[in-house]
Amino acid sequence: MATIELTNLGHVYGNGHVGLDGIELDVRDGEFLALLGPSGSGKTTLLRTIAGFLRPSAGNLAIGGRSVAGDGVWLPPEKRELGMVFQDHAIWPHLNVAGNVGYPLKLEGVPRIQIARRVAAVLDQVGLSEYAKRKPAALSGGQRQRVALARAIVAKPQALLLDEALSALDEPLRARLRLELRALTREEGLTAVHVTHDRAEALGLADRVAVLNRGKIQQVGTPRELLENPVNAFVASFVSDATLFPGTVVDGHFHADHPGLRFRIGSDTHGNPAIRVIGERALAGARPRRAVAAVAPTGVRLEPAARKAPLDIQLARVTSALYGRHGYETSLDWAGTGLRVLVDGWVPKEGELVRPVVEMAHVFCGESGGGEGRAA
Amino acid sequence: MAFHTIEKTVPEQGREFALGVPVPGSGRRNRNLPFRRPGRAWGGLGMLRTVVWVAMAFLVGVPLAALVLQGIQPEARVVFGDPAVASAALNSVASATGSALLATVAGAFLAVVLERGNVPSKGMLRWLVLLPFLIPPFIGALAWMALLGANGPVNKSLQSLGIDAKLSIFGGWGVVFLLAVHSYPVAYLVIAAALRRIPGNLEEAARISGAGTARVLGTVTLPLLRPGLLAAFVLTLVANLSDFGIPALIGLPERYTTLTTLVYRYLASSTTSNPLPAVSAIGLVLLALAVLTVLAQRRLPTGTQLGSGPAGMELELGRARIPVAVLLWLWTAIICLVPLLALASQALLPAPGVALTWENLTLDNIIRASTSPGAVSGIGNSIMLAGGAALCCTVLGLGIALLLTRDKHRSNPALDVAATLPQALPGLVIAVGWLLIAPMLGIFNTSWVILGAYVMAFLALVVQAVRAPMASVSSTLEEAARSAGATPLRALLDVTARLAVPAAVTGGVVVLLTAVRELTISILLVAPGSQTLGVAIFNLQQSGDYGGASALALLVALVGILGLSATAALANRRADK
Repeated sequence: MATIELTNLGHVYGNGHVGLDGIELDVRDGEFLALLGPSGSGKTTLLRTIAGFLRPSAGNLAIGGRSVAGDGVWLPPEKRELGMVFQDHAIWPHLNVAGNVGYPLKLEGVPRIQIARRVAAVLDQVGLSEYAKRKPAALSGGQRQRVALARAIVAKPQALLLDEALSALDEPLRARLRLELRALTREEGLTAVHVTHDRAEALGLADRVAVLNRGKIQQVGTPRELLENPVNAFVASFVSDATLFPGTVVDGHFHADHPGLRFRIGSDTHGNPAIRVIGERALAGARPRRAVAAVAPTGVRLEPAARKAPLDIQLARVTSALYGRHGYETSLDWAGTGLRVLVDGWVPKEGELVRPVVEMAHVFCGESGGGEGRAA
Repeated sequence: MAFHTIEKTVPEQGREFALGVPVPGSGRRNRNLPFRRPGRAWGGLGMLRTVVWVAMAFLVGVPLAALVLQGIQPEARVVFGDPAVASAALNSVASATGSALLATVAGAFLAVVLERGNVPSKGMLRWLVLLPFLIPPFIGALAWMALLGANGPVNKSLQSLGIDAKLSIFGGWGVVFLLAVHSYPVAYLVIAAALRRIPGNLEEAARISGAGTARVLGTVTLPLLRPGLLAAFVLTLVANLSDFGIPALIGLPERYTTLTTLVYRYLASSTTSNPLPAVSAIGLVLLALAVLTVLAQRRLPTGTQLGSGPAGMELELGRARIPVAVLLWLWTAIICLVPLLALASQALLPAPGVALTWENLTLDNIIRASTSPGAVSGIGNSIMLAGGAALCCTVLGLGIALLLTRDKHRSNPALDVAATLPQALPGLVIAVGWLLIAPMLGIFNTSWVILGAYVMAFLALVVQAVRAPMASVSSTLEEAARSAGATPLRALLDVTARLAVPAAVTGGVVVLLTAVRELTISILLVAPGSQTLGVAIFNLQQSGDYGGASALALLVALVGILGLSATAALANRRADK
C-alpha cells in the first residue's frame, strides 16, 4: 500500500478543453479518498490520470514515493501496480471467474499453484468462492462487480482505483457492497481512490473527500469538515445542498440582494435570537464588499404563518415537500428564490405560507455566487 | 520492487512537459526512476502495423498500380475506338443498372414484409429467399438453363398443353433477370440490416402523433431507410457489373456481350496478339467506375447516427396477410426451388429430355463427373486455393480489424480503404491486375496468382466480420488488462483478439465457401494445371456435357447451401449467447 502524491497536475484534452488544472493532492497510505463532483468536473479525468490512461500535460504524479508521470518520466498503466474497478465492471467474457481474477498474477509470472491459492483466498474474501468456474455471463450484476473487485486487489496493488464502481448497481445491493468495500479496504489497509457523483456515498464511505469542480480541487477534507466548514459557496451548495444568497457585507452586517434576508455576522440579531453565523473571512469594515451566504437545509427553521397573513417578503410558499429519511425535504418559493429546507416534526403542505428563520449560514466574502452555484 | 537506475539520456522528453512546473526537492529522486518512452510502449503494435501495411501494399497496391500504369498507355486507349467494346460497355452498364434496380426493389419489399410484417412462417421464408445467395451465379444460370432449355420441363409442359410458344432464358433480358435473381438477397440483407437499425421509438413517436401503419412506413421508415436502399443498389450494381458466369452462359449464345465476357474472349482466343493493353484499359474504366460509386456512397449518411432504441413496430398487414404470404411462397418456389430441382433432374437423368421417372434416375452423371480427372484436379485445386485464401484472409483480416478498431493512428483511413475497396471492385479488375504483375513476380501461369487474387478479393469479408463485434467490445476490458499489468500488445492479444477470434474464423469459413466455387477470377487467371472447380464446370458445359456440368453444379450448390447455412446458424447462436 502506498501514498499517491499529485503536484500541480494539469491535463488539457486534444480539443483544448481543460480537464484538470493545478491539482495538488496527497492521498495518504491506507486512506480511503473519495473524488466528488458534478459530471464534467474532472474527477474521472483525475482518476484516469492516476491510472495512467491519460498523460498529464503538466505537473507531477508519484505513487508510493516513486514518480510515475511528469518531469520527463512516464510509466504506462501496466507498470504502476494498481488495481482498478470500472463502472461497467469490464469482466472479460471469454475467461471464467478464476481466469479473470488470476490474470494479474499470471502476468506477474506467479506459479500456477500459488495463483490458484491466492485466487481462492480473494474469491473467499468477496464471497464468491463457489463461483470460480463460472463464466461471467452466468453472474448477476453485483457478482460481476465483486469479481472486478477481486481482480483489482488480487495482486496486492499499491492502490485501488474505483471509477463509479457502484453506480451501475441497484440501491439495496449498492449499500451492501459499499459496506463490504469499506470493510475490505480497512482489512487490507488499502489506499483507495473512489470516484463518485453520489454525495451520500462519498461522505459515508471516505476518510477524506476531495471536491472537484471545473477541473480544480475546491476542498479536501473529512466529511465533517466539508459539511461544517465549507471553504467556498460551491462546496457548500454541492455537498450540503445549501441555497446561495448573493449579497453585500457592510459593517459586520450581511445584506442579501434578496429582500427577506438580513443578519449580523458573528453575533445574534434582534428578532432572530438563535442565529449562528460562521463567516471566517467576513470581517467588519465600512467598505461594502460582495459576498455570498450559503444556507443549508438544516440551517433554516420554518415558523407557521397565520392563515390569513398578508403576503410580505418575510413569508415563503411551500412548493413541494418530499418525504425522506431525515424528514421532509421541503422546497420553498421565497419571493422568487428557491430555498431548500429540511423539516422534521411536522408535515408541510403544498401552497402553505411559512416564515423561514435562518439559524445558520456560511458567508463567503469576495464571491459573487453566480457562476459557482449548484452545477449539479 | 526493483528500482533500476536509468540515466535520463533523451533530452526531448523534458520538453513535452514544458507546461509542468518543476518540483523543487523531489526532482533529483524522480530522475533515478525507471521510465519508458510512450512511443516504445506501442512498439508491439507498430510492428503489427508495419507487417500489415507491407502485406496490403503487395496484395492491393501493386496489382492496382500495375493495372493503372498499363491502362493509361497510349496503345491501350486504342481499344475505346473499337465498336465491339462500346457495345459491350453499354450492355454491361444497362444490364447491371437494370438488375440492380430490380434487386433493390425486390430486396426492399422482402425486407419490409419479412422483417416487420406479420406473415406466417417468417423464419422459413427468410431462409428460403436467401437461397440464390448461397448458390454461385453461374450455377444458378445452369439451373435456369436446365429449367427453360429447349427440352426442359417448362417447354415440354407447354408443348404437351398444345401451346406453340417456347420460353427461352438466353439473351439480354435473361441476363438482367438472372443477375437480379442472384443479387436481390444481398439487397435484402443490406436493407433488412438498415431497417433493424431504425430505432422503434422514432416510429412510435409518429404513431403517437396520429399516423397509421402505412403512413409511418411512408413518412418515417422509408425516408430513414434511404441510405440503406442506396447502399443496396450500389453494392448490387458493382457486383453485377463484374459477374462473368451469367453473361457468359446466358448472354453469349445470343451474342449479348458484356465487358467481362469480352475480356474473357480477348484473353482466351488468340485473335489479338497482345490482349493485355486492351484488357487493362477496360479494367481501368471499371476500376474508376467502382471507386466513384464507393466514394459517392461514403459521402452519404450511413444511418448509424440514429442511435439505439426498442425494436421497430410490427407491420399489421390485415387483409393483405394471406395474399402476401401466397406471393412469398410462389416467389420462393419459382425463383429459388424449381430451378434447383430442374438442375437436380438434369444431373440425375442420363440425357436431357428423358422422361422423369424413378426408373430413369441414375447417379451415373454424378459419379462420372466427380471422378473425371478434370473434376478431381479442379476440386483439389479449389480446396487448396480456397483453404489457403481463407487462412491468409483470417490472419490478415484479424490484424487489420484490430488496428482499425483499437489503435487510433493517422494511417487508419487509408488502411480501411485498402482493405475494403477490393470488395467493391469487379473480379475482372482484380484478375487483370494480378495477370499483369504475375510475370514480374515469377508466378505467371501458376496457382499462386489465383491465390493472391482470392486473398485480395475476399479479405474484406473477414475484416467486416471481425470489425463490428470488436467495435462493441468496451475499451475498459483492455484498460482492465493494462492496469493488471499487461503491455498494450499483450492486452490486445489477451482480451480483444481472443474475443474476436470466433468472428474471424466465421469470416474465414465464408471466404472458404465463397472461394471454393469462384468463377470470374479463376477463369481469367486459369493456367494449365490450375483449373478450379468453377472452371471445370464451365468447361464441361461449354463442351456440351450438360449432365456432367449439372452433376458437379448440384454438388457445389448443395455444399454451398449447407455450409453457409450452418455457418450462419453457428454465428447467430454465438451472437445470442
